Amino acid sequence: MSSEAVLVDKESDFMRSPEKVMRLDRMGSSFPTRLSFMRTLIRRMSKENWKFERTLRNVDKDGYGVSVYSAITPHRTYSLIAFTQEIPADMRTDRVIAEVWDATFSLFDGVPAQEDIDYLANNTPLQEGGRYRPSELVLARANKSLRVFENIISSLATGVQPDLELISSVGYLMRTTAVYGSGKFGCADRAKIADREECKPPFQIELLAVYLIRWFTIDMVEELAKERGGEKAVQLDQKTRRFIGVGNSTGLGMAPFLLKHPTLIHNWVVAKETALARVRSIETALPGTLEVFLKSLLQVSQHVDEWNVADEVQSARISRLTDEIQALRMWCEDESNICRPYPWNGIYQYVEDNFSLECQEMIVSLIIEPHGTLVDDLAETMSTTMIPKFKADMTLSHLKGVVADAYNWATTIDFSLEESQHHFWYYSEDKLEPRFGSKGVDDGVDQEMPLAIGRDVYDLNEVLQGIDEDMPIGEFAMIHPQFRHIIRRIQNTFERPYSEVQDNLLSESMKPLDLLRFKLAFFGASKFDPKSDLWTRISMYQGAPLPDQIQKSNHDCWAFPIAGRSQSYPCINCTCQKAV
Amino acid sequence: MSKSGLTISLNEVLFYFTRAGFGVKAPIGVSEDFARSNIWIAQNGFDPSECSLLALDNLDSQKSSLSIQFEKSSDGSRLFCPEDRILSAIEASVSCVDWLEFNGLNGGLKVTNVDCPLLVVSALGANQCIGIKVSWSDKSNNQYQVNLNDNTKWEIIASSDVPIEQSSYADIQISALDGTNKATIKNGKLKTFNIADERLKTLNNGVNVGDKWPEIYEYFSRCLVKSSAESRASGAGAGLVDTD
Repeated sequence: MSSEAVLVDKESDFMRSPEKVMRLDRMGSSFPTRLSFMRTLIRRMSKENWKFERTLRNVDKDGYGVSVYSAITPHRTYSLIAFTQEIPADMRTDRVIAEVWDATFSLFDGVPAQEDIDYLANNTPLQEGGRYRPSELVLARANKSLRVFENIISSLATGVQPDLELISSVGYLMRTTAVYGSGKFGCADRAKIADREECKPPFQIELLAVYLIRWFTIDMVEELAKERGGEKAVQLDQKTRRFIGVGNSTGLGMAPFLLKHPTLIHNWVVAKETALARVRSIETALPGTLEVFLKSLLQVSQHVDEWNVADEVQSARISRLTDEIQALRMWCEDESNICRPYPWNGIYQYVEDNFSLECQEMIVSLIIEPHGTLVDDLAETMSTTMIPKFKADMTLSHLKGVVADAYNWATTIDFSLEESQHHFWYYSEDKLEPRFGSKGVDDGVDQEMPLAIGRDVYDLNEVLQGIDEDMPIGEFAMIHPQFRHIIRRIQNTFERPYSEVQDNLLSESMKPLDLLRFKLAFFGASKFDPKSDLWTRISMYQGAPLPDQIQKSNHDCWAFPIAGRSQSYPCINCTCQKAV
Repeated sequence: MSKSGLTISLNEVLFYFTRAGFGVKAPIGVSEDFARSNIWIAQNGFDPSECSLLALDNLDSQKSSLSIQFEKSSDGSRLFCPEDRILSAIEASVSCVDWLEFNGLNGGLKVTNVDCPLLVVSALGANQCIGIKVSWSDKSNNQYQVNLNDNTKWEIIASSDVPIEQSSYADIQISALDGTNKATIKNGKLKTFNIADERLKTLNNGVNVGDKWPEIYEYFSRCLVKSSAESRASGAGAGLVDTD
């Protein structure tokens, strides 16, 4: 299926509307689904029987030095080159403006020669300060969670499994603070790899790098424990290994990406919403699926119990979610509620009518989960190669109609109010760190990033009202070149209704965090741990199989993992066929 | 990043040139097209900073203008700057593409007094305008003809050895390419570009930028906002020390 093949089924009674889905509060309640990009990658690894090898480990007794970890696909090899160093504790920061990191990484396209490793040894540890070549696909870095890192090493060194509660409270050994791909700092452009099967779905190469980083962190603590404990040392048990994810700290850099790639976002959302619509439209539940769902509610309760955050708002949401899952379980115990036609639609509708957005979006994920055979093909439709073009042959009357129909959400915002234009986005001269400013407080309004979609549509609409509709749009753009970007955007998005965030991104109440969570959920991240309205920590690959587990029958069973248990609820969507 | 002699990616061409255009006050939509044109230039083995710096300099010094008008007369169709200034190729290029998309090639199009002709060519190339001939004689009387043959191939025919990216200030004629006008410059030197091959080379080797790159970066850096202690502390919403 081509990447542009899925059309929006506007007639489906089960498809949620863009007006409902593309709102910040719902986007900020997103959870990963089986269509999330990490899930897609793991399924491919297993299906294609990828091999994994540590091909170099040249480190000292403290683990500082260089290592290489390779993923061997049927057609090529990708190699993660990892550099580790000792850094002062007070220089650990999640910010872009950091200068040093515990570990830095390049994902190399192929098998690196010694001169490649030497070249990268002089560049990768500098991160944005280095320069990279088209042979490098990804640049990344990570810092240790000191307490987990040390606890695991010292436990394993004495032959004891580490404190699972501590592992569960953090979730990872290291936290990545940036993962750059697509031509950043001289790395390979996406176009170099876009035609490779394993790179076609979104962000696969970046997420491969993260997967290898996770393996590297686990391998590193086991090796250091061996170094420290000698014969007494043990390895992590299989379930604990699988539970350990890799952290990530995400800030504002992700938000502009989301706004600058509307076609891509449309494709992501249409795939997810189509999956949901397919499930809701099932008249009679497929054998075993309802039972799986009911048991998954139990598992998810435990998962949510382990999701502890300091942020008061998120904490309250989690607490409410816990109660709502319990209430849903009780509602489901009454067979008459679920043993009826269109059971999934009934469940969804009940949740939508009665529970929070957080619960609604979790249930979306849970009811899609047992239906792999029905929805997994949609993963292939989530990328795009389209470059948006300005269409000079469109008429102004058509443009006016489109703005009226598709951008009503923007033209009805009152931008004369101060609070409607409170914020602006800009790049700082500090390592180009993206920042979110307040007008009248912060400098840089003149250098605002062009992300004010709603306001720009509003301004265009005002001007269009007084223009002769017969004027060719090219002529209009010559007279009003300031609208060229927004006209192009409208021309390329109005037939892709899920491409726009239908809220004012400049308003005083706007929280970039909602955008971050939306995007990270599509990646497959879990355990959102907001540190402010602009920044969140997450876990990635928690519960996912490690390289030596990738061929196990339960390789795809890692939604909503629980500490110490690789998978507690039965599944029917993968080859493990765990009994219901 | 501000040093010369770098190898950069196409994505960096897009990033830096969009903002360099914005840095000389070109509207963002026009700057985006300018950057796409530079990607096409880079994909064909040219240094985009060499090709575009003059256009940015002229706009910055107000020697050129983004103002543009269209007129149709008995001589044909024409795009020109209504002010007493040079027409910036940054605007001329997008207007040419728009005009061609709306009108087709009927009767051809003249674009007068443009500073960087190759930028106009690259906009046409980036928008996959094909079956087109672009010709001009520049201020040094060097003649150039570019044939955008099809989606696989394009050609430069030049009367001199002066690289096309250095050709400046010209009236450009855009017309349909047919069997009779493929090579109108006598004893012209022909260079043919295979688009797919050139693109592959660029993806595998990157884009080399020479001594004009630092000036492009200088224009780019105008989009950056000075950092203060306050913005450093609050603008990204995250702390400056993160240990756990």
